[in-house]
Amino acid sequence: MTIRHLINLTRRTRRPIQAFATSRHSSTAVAAASDASLPSPPPPTAMIYDRLAESVKQKLKKLEDPDHRFLQHNSPHPTLDSHTEILSAPLTRVTTLPNGLRIATESTLASKTATVGVFIDAGSRFESEESNGTAHFLEHMIFKGTERRNARQLEEEIENMGGHLNAYTSREQTTYYAKVMDKNVPNALDILSDILQNSKFEEQRIIRERDVILREMEEVEGQTEEVIFDHLHATAFQYTPLGRTILGPAENIKIIGKEHIQNYISTHYTAPRMVVAASGAVKHEDIVEQVKKLFTKLSTDPTTTSDLVAKEPAIFTGSEIRMLDDDIPLAQFAVAFEGASWTDPDSIALMVMQSMLGSWNKNAGGGKHMGSELAQRVGINEIAESMMAFNTNYKDTGLFGVYAVAKPDCLDDLAYAIMYEVTKLCYRVSEADVIRARNQLKSSLLLHIDGTSPVFEDIGRQLLTYGRRIPYAELFARIDSVDASTVKRVANRFIFDRDVAITAVGPIQGLPDYNWFRRRTYWLRY
Amino acid sequence: MKSGFCLVSRTGCRGLAGYSSTSAVATRSSSGGFFSWLTGEKSSSLPPLDFPLKDVTLAPPLPDYVEPGKTKITTLTNGLKIASETSANPASSIGLYVDSGSIYETPASYGATHLLERMAFKSTTNRSHLRIVREVEAIGGNVIASASREHMSYTYDALKSYVPQMVELLIDCVRNPAFLDWEVSEQVNKVRAEIAECSKNPLELLMEAIHSTGYAGPYGNSLLASESALNSLNSTVLEEFVAENYTASRMVLAASGVDHDKLLEYAEPLLSDLANVSRPSEPKPIYTGGDFRRQGDSGITHFALAFELSGGWVKDKDAMTLTVFQMLMGGGGSFSAGGPGKGMYSRLYLRVLNQHPQIQSFSAFNSIYNHTGLFGIQATTGSDFATNAIDIAVKELIAVATPGEVDQVQLDRAKQSTKAAILMNLESRMVASEDIGKQILTYGERKPIEHFLKAVDEVTAQDIAKTAQKLLSSPLTMASYGDVLHLPSYDAVSSRFHSK
Repeated sequence: MTIRHLINLTRRTRRPIQAFATSRHSSTAVAAASDASLPSPPPPTAMIYDRLAESVKQKLKKLEDPDHRFLQHNSPHPTLDSHTEILSAPLTRVTTLPNGLRIATESTLASKTATVGVFIDAGSRFESEESNGTAHFLEHMIFKGTERRNARQLEEEIENMGGHLNAYTSREQTTYYAKVMDKNVPNALDILSDILQNSKFEEQRIIRERDVILREMEEVEGQTEEVIFDHLHATAFQYTPLGRTILGPAENIKIIGKEHIQNYISTHYTAPRMVVAASGAVKHEDIVEQVKKLFTKLSTDPTTTSDLVAKEPAIFTGSEIRMLDDDIPLAQFAVAFEGASWTDPDSIALMVMQSMLGSWNKNAGGGKHMGSELAQRVGINEIAESMMAFNTNYKDTGLFGVYAVAKPDCLDDLAYAIMYEVTKLCYRVSEADVIRARNQLKSSLLLHIDGTSPVFEDIGRQLLTYGRRIPYAELFARIDSVDASTVKRVANRFIFDRDVAITAVGPIQGLPDYNWFRRRTYWLRY
Repeated sequence: MKSGFCLVSRTGCRGLAGYSSTSAVATRSSSGGFFSWLTGEKSSSLPPLDFPLKDVTLAPPLPDYVEPGKTKITTLTNGLKIASETSANPASSIGLYVDSGSIYETPASYGATHLLERMAFKSTTNRSHLRIVREVEAIGGNVIASASREHMSYTYDALKSYVPQMVELLIDCVRNPAFLDWEVSEQVNKVRAEIAECSKNPLELLMEAIHSTGYAGPYGNSLLASESALNSLNSTVLEEFVAENYTASRMVLAASGVDHDKLLEYAEPLLSDLANVSRPSEPKPIYTGGDFRRQGDSGITHFALAFELSGGWVKDKDAMTLTVFQMLMGGGGSFSAGGPGKGMYSRLYLRVLNQHPQIQSFSAFNSIYNHTGLFGIQATTGSDFATNAIDIAVKELIAVATPGEVDQVQLDRAKQSTKAAILMNLESRMVASEDIGKQILTYGERKPIEHFLKAVDEVTAQDIAKTAQKLLSSPLTMASYGDVLHLPSYDAVSSRFHSK
């Protein structure tokens, strides 16, 4: 015991002038010494608490001498790092055909699989009030047979090559894609061109699919998160096409027929609004050759979506929708500000801000230690089950806000935490938080690219929204140009004293009223 | 004051959106306004995203063909293996895989694996949990731990520039966990909440039940900690379990997207001093079969029938046959999203789901371990149809064991789907690093992917029938949850397989 005490004393006096290298020696010495003198059993008079205290002390002792071998590279303080060496990617080659159709590919010839597909600059926002739901209906019907293949042949062809054929429709974009082995790429392109140009839309198939869609609708209505975001669009963009749902109302689904669908295809599936994208085991020239031969029947109507958007712009209205339902255990709500459009230079800053607010849920490993102060507030006070900041972009507008799920008795605290932290972005932003958020954003953008399908998705989306594929180096440069003052400026543009759109579902009596939220979009102190 | 920073008209002419916002940026930079003076802000003068940014130095593009990296393996003197392959992807995934899992638990340490999964990346003797979280966030990485019956995996996914940081943190978290009492008890409470909710996930419950009733001994150990096990779990149990099982020769550090020499440079000094302990003998699977029933909500019945195929991954030919067999049977939900490619022409879809609308889901499953494997059918149906559904499942299993029943078209489709599924999964660097790690733990080497593809190609209809017969000759394991009162008895079902 005395030896150990002595060593401790010397160590304490030597600490201030000691470099890391020497302190490692002393720490091993201490470890050896404490091994030699095992903890003596507590005296028989000791109480149980003393024993417990002794064991806890033993355990904490382990923490006193960190091994510097393990502490050389990491730092909890985020820094600005250069990634120039790792950012080289295969070229994204783009060819525009005379009819306006674009073909974009990224080849990784070493891989044995490929994703090919078509991105179309069309979605539910370009429908009319009466035809809302057609885009999605079409997505279902397009796999149901063409002049050359009936539905069964189509399905069997894909299944026999072990591939996948899928589609999704959003408010502004529609995607059809196939994921196949390298040798099947020509077949996949043939199938895609066939279903996009020669689909038959038989009346009885439409009737059968109608039931499937109505059933899908029931499923979507069961997923509260989907419901919240549908309502959020409905209220924020009320009386504009962006406010409509993707599936469309049930009344519409019941009357949509062949004519609606064909009409939609001929007006919206035009060559200038389409991008054929491919990634993986594909050669650009081969794809271009094939596409030239296969996609011959497309309309070349030069109307762009910018024209359509200009005719019916999305207008953000501060408003709310609340659906009180005391029978479900958890309340969910979303608060949103109007965000930036795809091409707005400030949309990058909004992405950084989304990353600063972060997301949190009960099972997340970070718990209350996360860097986001909103996550800390939520985690420490246990006021939510989960929380997530979101940032959605559209052609002329966007939505930026926070979605949360909570027990009913936490709603007012949670609403306060969210509004405080969001509005704080206009006033107090620390440079360290911004750097951390930037690093997280950069990483998440690149980590997401894991396989041919994410690459395909990235090419197609960027060509439709930006008209080009932004090189990672440029994206990183844009992210790095966001600093604390940029965040404050952008927050002042989008958050300070702006209207909010709110939707809430569940046991939500405890959620403060609209004016309470609106008042908390600015502070009267600095 | 407000107008000072609100220069962008949100309702301007959309047709010229690209140009109008550039001009807005220009205006804004000329007059910052009172508010920007107050906050000291600088204005953005970047072009909109559809216009390229000037003065960005672009790295030279990669060629279209980058030679795929070979897997290099180094064995340290203490038996620990370090393996890696390079990739063209800007990110890398590094994993530390340990040959430890619930099969190594003893009655004193039941549930330790589940709790260890939850305790991953918590305080170590060198860094606090706060510090770990912030270090991971500082480089924007993802850390994930997962536990299975035979493996523990700890993975770190981040940009390639951060390999030293990833290796250091990963190894520290696995080698030096502190198991602080308050952290352990916090996680014990979370596990408790988790198992209370597991009845919401009937399929997981059934798979657990199939293992705990089908196997006697180590493979029957539950992967989910039980309520009683939780009461006796504490930091001492975890420490002892880790000391016993996380030994050098049972660990592999595997990475996808990292240069081997670089990985060695950072990993070797942190791993080479682990003690070389000879490993205890691997637990042997003892398959017995059995019946599990638990009453749940009425109106709906979930059940699973399973059989054993001894051998497992070690007999890789049989394992691949079983994988093709599972693809061949296929199945899924009667109502599920997604287009062609989810196995709509597999046997269970064509012969069961398309014929019986009462069945909600009906699919074949397999779980293959190093020395054993399970195969079976699981289904969800309305309870009044449950007896019929069991009947159908029995008939399907017996049918496929009849020689000549599987035609070449079905088999080719299943083989092609298996190959495509393998290759598509390996596109992902996370899957690749896991594949390296687990193959080395099982085989001591990484077999080339062509080896497995060839094994798939060689599967014949006779192999399928033979495998099916071998399966059905093992005792039946039956598990059910939900409305189970009216299900046929175990003996009644079992006798139909063995009466022939």
